[in-house]
Amino acid sequence: MTAVPPARGHGRIRSPWANYVTTARYLALFALACFFLMPVYALLITALKSPSEVSVVRMWQWPHALSLDNFAIVWPKLREGFTNSVLMALPASVLSSLLGAANGFVLSKWRFPGADFAFALILFGMFIPYQAVLIPMFQVMSYSGLRGGLYGLILVHVIYGLPITTLIFRSYFAGISEELIEAAKVDGAGMLRTFVFVALPIAPPAFAVAMIWQFTSAWNDFLFGVLLTNKDRWPITVALNNIAGSQAVPFNEAMASALLACLPTLLVYVLLGRFFMRGLMAGALKG
Amino acid sequence: MMSMSEPAAATSAAAASSLARPRAAGIRLEQVGKRFRGGVDAVRELDLAIEPGEFIVLVGPSGCGKSTVLRMIAGLEEVTSGRIFLGSDDITSELPQRRDVAMVFQSYALYPRMTVRKNMAFGLRMRGTPRAERDRRVAAVARTLGLEPLLERRPAALSGGQRQRVAMGRAIVREPRVFLMDEPLSNLDAKLRVTVRAQLTQLHHRLGVTTVYVTHDQIEAMTLGQRVAVLRDGRLQQFATPQALFREPVNLFVAAFIGSPSMNFVSATIAGGQVRFAGHAIALPPDSPLVTADREVILGVRPTAFGPAGVAGWAELAVKPVVIEELGDERYVFFDLEAPRVDTEATRAAFDARGSDDALLLPDEARARFTVRLPADLPLALGQALTVSLDPRRLYFFDPRTGSTLA
Amino acid sequence: MRRLRAWGPGLLLIAPSLVALAVFVYGFLGWNIRVSMSSWRGLAPAHDFVGLDNYVALLGDVRFTHYDVPNIAIFTLVFVIGSLVVGFVMAVLLDRGVTGENVFRSVYLFPMAISFIATAIIWRWLMDNGGGESTTGINQLLADAGLESWRSDWFKSSSRWAIAAIALPAGWSLTGYVMSLFLAGMRGVPEELREAARVDGASEPRVFWHVVRPMLLPVLMSAVVILTHISLKTFDLFYAMDQKNIKIDTPALYMWFTTFDGGFYARGAAIATLLLLGVATIIVPYIWYSVREERRK
Repeated sequence: MTAVPPARGHGRIRSPWANYVTTARYLALFALACFFLMPVYALLITALKSPSEVSVVRMWQWPHALSLDNFAIVWPKLREGFTNSVLMALPASVLSSLLGAANGFVLSKWRFPGADFAFALILFGMFIPYQAVLIPMFQVMSYSGLRGGLYGLILVHVIYGLPITTLIFRSYFAGISEELIEAAKVDGAGMLRTFVFVALPIAPPAFAVAMIWQFTSAWNDFLFGVLLTNKDRWPITVALNNIAGSQAVPFNEAMASALLACLPTLLVYVLLGRFFMRGLMAGALKG
Repeated sequence: MMSMSEPAAATSAAAASSLARPRAAGIRLEQVGKRFRGGVDAVRELDLAIEPGEFIVLVGPSGCGKSTVLRMIAGLEEVTSGRIFLGSDDITSELPQRRDVAMVFQSYALYPRMTVRKNMAFGLRMRGTPRAERDRRVAAVARTLGLEPLLERRPAALSGGQRQRVAMGRAIVREPRVFLMDEPLSNLDAKLRVTVRAQLTQLHHRLGVTTVYVTHDQIEAMTLGQRVAVLRDGRLQQFATPQALFREPVNLFVAAFIGSPSMNFVSATIAGGQVRFAGHAIALPPDSPLVTADREVILGVRPTAFGPAGVAGWAELAVKPVVIEELGDERYVFFDLEAPRVDTEATRAAFDARGSDDALLLPDEARARFTVRLPADLPLALGQALTVSLDPRRLYFFDPRTGSTLA
Repeated sequence: MRRLRAWGPGLLLIAPSLVALAVFVYGFLGWNIRVSMSSWRGLAPAHDFVGLDNYVALLGDVRFTHYDVPNIAIFTLVFVIGSLVVGFVMAVLLDRGVTGENVFRSVYLFPMAISFIATAIIWRWLMDNGGGESTTGINQLLADAGLESWRSDWFKSSSRWAIAAIALPAGWSLTGYVMSLFLAGMRGVPEELREAARVDGASEPRVFWHVVRPMLLPVLMSAVVILTHISLKTFDLFYAMDQKNIKIDTPALYMWFTTFDGGFYARGAAIATLLLLGVATIIVPYIWYSVREERRK
């Protein structure tokens, strides 16, 4: 028997340059990661410095002592905005997801003549520049008394969130086999029952995607928030802008408040990133 | 679909002689093994020697490693142990780009954004063949395969059969030393498959390129291959001509896998120069090596080894048909024996792999069921006693433990 | 009648959404156009009709024609091209699979979870243009690395291209998204296709160029459309970054200030309508094309 060479790798046969290419790749990826994390680094070390140590010029220096004082300073200013955002973003995301689920189901599995056209019309709503509806919205919200409180803001987020949630659910429900729907029909289920007993049971992942996406979107919104609320009902983005908006504000407060304001959405991103990514992909339409 | 009528074949042969090149190389696999991440051994200690210009088929149930072997020859899988030679060159660590092989994939893998012409010219382009030569070769192959009207189309605008031909054309145009084909016919409908099979054989006669063909269909293997390699669980069972596989299978698996309809099996005992099974006893031919044996065996008989009663020198069996299949000129008669069905790993693997073109009946009892082929004019009826004769020279005996052939 | 009963309930279920969107999207859009053709100025809405006067006035408006339009064009160009290039490169780097791919992807994508306000606040300090003793932010990093000559005034510069500096935070936010799109596109190419190209003799770069790249066109189109429309709509980022700086004014900013600060509602509506037209010219064909492609499958 001829001598058998030792066992080799499991993958593809590699060219002699493969190792150099791989090293170069890792270097590039790492460099890019540094670029992306650089602002976070500045943010974190500034927020964690004691107020007296903070100075714009020494932005990049590591703190001598870690301190949470900055948070204590800005939290009272942000607390109201934080609460408002929570009270606004949660209901808005739940409601627009529910409606989106219904819409998505009808548009994919219980179609009517012109359903595709209706979908295109709905979709367009996602892409319009909000400037083009700002003035009428301002008028309507003012006349109906909805301006100033949170209800108007929630309503607006629900309605303008419909296109993306509809898109998410429509794509998702498109994956249900037609035969399953037909079996339900033959078994005597009408549209509502098919929706409740066939579509909804498998919908939780899509709900996660839609709600996370909508929550992030509503939490991060500024335009509607600043237009439609009064001072006591400002969402956190507006509060943040007021604290840290002008450059005359202490640097440490600006960074600490920015960090606090981002915390919830970042937490969602870190813990539930998978669903976040799927929402991303849905927004690209073409799969 | 292109038909190869005689005059057309003659003119194509003349055109094709400009295609055929005596560059065909032999392939040699030495103790080749493949282990995947996770410890799965897809191929074990494979030794295979393929002659230049030969058309060989790798066949076996799914998961037997045949595609893996093909991909290792192509360079798409790294070889874990052993060596592969193309001609006299050791290509074991060679990149697929450098090996002079062409491959037809099961899904055809046509470049979707290129026209048929560009698809076929791609390999030549990559190797730096000058434009004029590229065009000439593509035109010649397109003519041979009847692809001329399709040259400016994209793959999406082609039917399955047309795509298959383009995939073949792409391989032929390269004039490689070896053709590799990974189940290229499995996505075609049955009728098309038969036609293309014949074309493949004719193509091989004309071009004379070494070809390694992978399939799970044993009928395809038998009709196409000059020699056939039967694989199971990563190991080579037997590498021989179709006739040799049919007449002299080396083990139970090969015997059960090859041949349509499949061989009949029953547990038996050999003693005193006779084989006894299910209440029957048949005398062994005096020159049989098992004449003095005294042991348990598995007896195998092909359906075609039976005949109507009264053939000289043949043993007689009294049976009762339970199913009769009329096929016009002949019929298949099924009867049960008073003995348990042979159910070993080997037979199960073989029968599972045979696929839908075999009329496999699920016995409702655990009794051995035999299939025999009989002439259509023989009077018989269901449930009525029938005498058939059996050629004692065409009995196969297998070791019940190892499955290897005894005689 | 029976057919109506078949799909009627579906239509009914979706009706509230359709009605809401009909009002809040199409109704408001139309209303906005109507306002743009009035002479509303001040607190009380005017209901007269002045045709296209406001639009004509915009053409003569220095702030609009000299700052807004060129700025948004420059910004869009730099932002879109920059994000496409960097996003593409990131996707190419990750395509073959690396250990820690998920970590890298999370790092590149997390800025999308942050509001533009926070992004603006952070980057405003990073792009601070203090000099000499008060050099800080990126300028300081550059100085520390010995690249003092690369120091920039960023968006506070008097150059025409000042607004391009804001493409940096915008790109930071959205490049990860582009990367995801390209990566999904690349991974959608069946491995067998690449294998066929390898067997055909193509080296890895050529495999990418001839096999993968042509299949990325739809992804590229999606990315361009989405990025461009986001770029035109962007308001928060500019608002929080440097809203009073007229050199980096944009139509979106102008619309806001002229309407809600200055009271020039009609003019604001006109600017908004122009923005709408700009967005519609790319979005409408895109939606139509997407829905049609989907039908074909």
